[in-house]
Amino acid sequence: MTTPTRKSPSFGFILGKSGAYAILIVGLVGTLLPFFYIMVSSLKTEAELRQTPPDFFSKEPTLKHYTTILTDKDIPLARNLLNSIFVSVTRVFISLFTSSFAGYIFAKYHFKGKNLAFGMILIQIMIPFQVVMIPSYLLVVKLKLIDSLWALIIPAFIDSYGIFMMKQFIEALPAELMDAARIDGASEFGIYTRIVLPQMGPPLASLGIFTFMATWNDYLWPLIVLTSPEKRTIPLLVVWFQTQHVSNQGLVLAASILTLLPIFFVYIFLQRWIVDQATQSAFK
Amino acid sequence: MEINAFFKKDTVSDGGKLMAKQRRFAYTGLAPILLYMGLFTLFPIVWAVVMSFFSYTPIREGSGFLGLGGANPFVGIGNYIELFTGTSKPAEVFRLAVKNTFLFTALVLPLNLVITLPLAVILESIGDRFKTMFRAIYFLPTISSSVALVIIWSYMYAPGWGMLSLMFKAVGLIPPKSWLQDPNTIYFGVPLAMICVVIAHVWQDFGYNLVIFVAALQSIPKTLREAARVDGANAWQEFWLVVVPLLRRTVLLTSVLTVLSSLQVFVIFQLLTRGGPKNQTQTMLLSIYENAFRFANNLGLSSAMSMILFIIILVLTVTQFRILRAEWEY
Repeated sequence: MTTPTRKSPSFGFILGKSGAYAILIVGLVGTLLPFFYIMVSSLKTEAELRQTPPDFFSKEPTLKHYTTILTDKDIPLARNLLNSIFVSVTRVFISLFTSSFAGYIFAKYHFKGKNLAFGMILIQIMIPFQVVMIPSYLLVVKLKLIDSLWALIIPAFIDSYGIFMMKQFIEALPAELMDAARIDGASEFGIYTRIVLPQMGPPLASLGIFTFMATWNDYLWPLIVLTSPEKRTIPLLVVWFQTQHVSNQGLVLAASILTLLPIFFVYIFLQRWIVDQATQSAFK
Repeated sequence: MEINAFFKKDTVSDGGKLMAKQRRFAYTGLAPILLYMGLFTLFPIVWAVVMSFFSYTPIREGSGFLGLGGANPFVGIGNYIELFTGTSKPAEVFRLAVKNTFLFTALVLPLNLVITLPLAVILESIGDRFKTMFRAIYFLPTISSSVALVIIWSYMYAPGWGMLSLMFKAVGLIPPKSWLQDPNTIYFGVPLAMICVVIAHVWQDFGYNLVIFVAALQSIPKTLREAARVDGANAWQEFWLVVVPLLRRTVLLTSVLTVLSSLQVFVIFQLLTRGGPKNQTQTMLLSIYENAFRFANNLGLSSAMSMILFIIILVLTVTQFRILRAEWEY
């Protein structure tokens, strides 16, 4: 372990310890202040929100905007929340299955055309969504999925990045385990479910978390394919709110805080892991 | 189709029964996945390429496959010529959008590096417990919903009473009348609205590069730094002569990734400035979206736009893979 004497001197040496912390704290305030300002503003009364110049903190904080959003019959929040949860959870499970299953085949089987097939996966990783956005929309129209939550799920069954990531991990599993299972009479699919999957906990969890966050925050594709209010996902609801309630800023603020909360909640428990995984994924 | 051909040949030709069984499993398992991918990714990309050579509007019934041809005529490279030289409104806005997209990227990249590199070096030098905490908080905006972040920033930039205006007043400066809507305030050739978008985007995105740089700094073996010390280098020399050269590849790679993601920023442009004022923050992706889905213009023209964006992205992605593949070890 690093002891103070072996700790390599770097900027801390030049800047001084307190200088280093001062800069880090300035950065910290800059990062958190916008979040914090919105959070305290969402507790202001309408009069306080209209006041110029405004006070930073509310003199009579109220949860009114939150209760309005949560209880108003005209705001399909519960419905939209369920939509977001349904789409995100379904996409997580489907992509965990397809990614690990395809990753397993690519990692552990030899067959003709494997390079070609894997090339297809790599090509898909390189194609940004915007390029296929227009034809994907036309395809969804032809499949009669427009304005349906399935339009967010069905085109996303296969996650090529997930396949790539799972392949990397499964390649590291020892082949002896699988041969032993084969001798015991396990089917190839049985090896996948009983030998491979149980050992893939951490990578499956990271893929699941990232798929969940990406789906939860997704905006452009839902914006294109969903039209009716009761089909909206949460980001679309927030944007709709912003255009509808220009006069009632408190509601918009409360809605955006409600969008952020589920992700923050996941992040509080898994931040170390999420950051580490994000770092690693950049170098794969 | 190709997959079926492999399937037949291999199961018959191979001698080992076990191997044949495994191969059969691999093919039957992968075939649906690849077919599915073909339908939802490879087919659309071909479709997009083909469509970019047609004048296509979905409401017109074309004669040929996918409604192309007939009422939706083949125009060759007409859409591309239109985009590069035409005088129609979409073409003129698009050329502006290309310029703005590059301007945005050119501002985001240096600003991002100027913040993240020194911050990473400082962060790496402090104790582990605080390091994890700082890192987690700096990363927070990157995992947040872009839509919520745009709402946050529209409050920061609100004219008169927004937080930035208040901060300007607090230090005795006169804040701009409007941060996001005044087309006439231009600093060094960059419109104020663009500067505001750049700042909001860098705030949202810097955590990503930061954690990568911290990880890269941590992976530099302590022995190299110690060797430099033994040879009499001071902390400053050690940093410039040992650490910086070893970071070069990481900086290059993250720069490419930052450029790639900057070219694809959408939410902030669509919601914070809506491309305005006077198209000063109109970008390529926003143009593609608006032409295809808001104005429902010629989708062939929009496809040609996305092809141009794709070619730019492709060149950068190939560069990124080159850097990744390059032999590199401490």
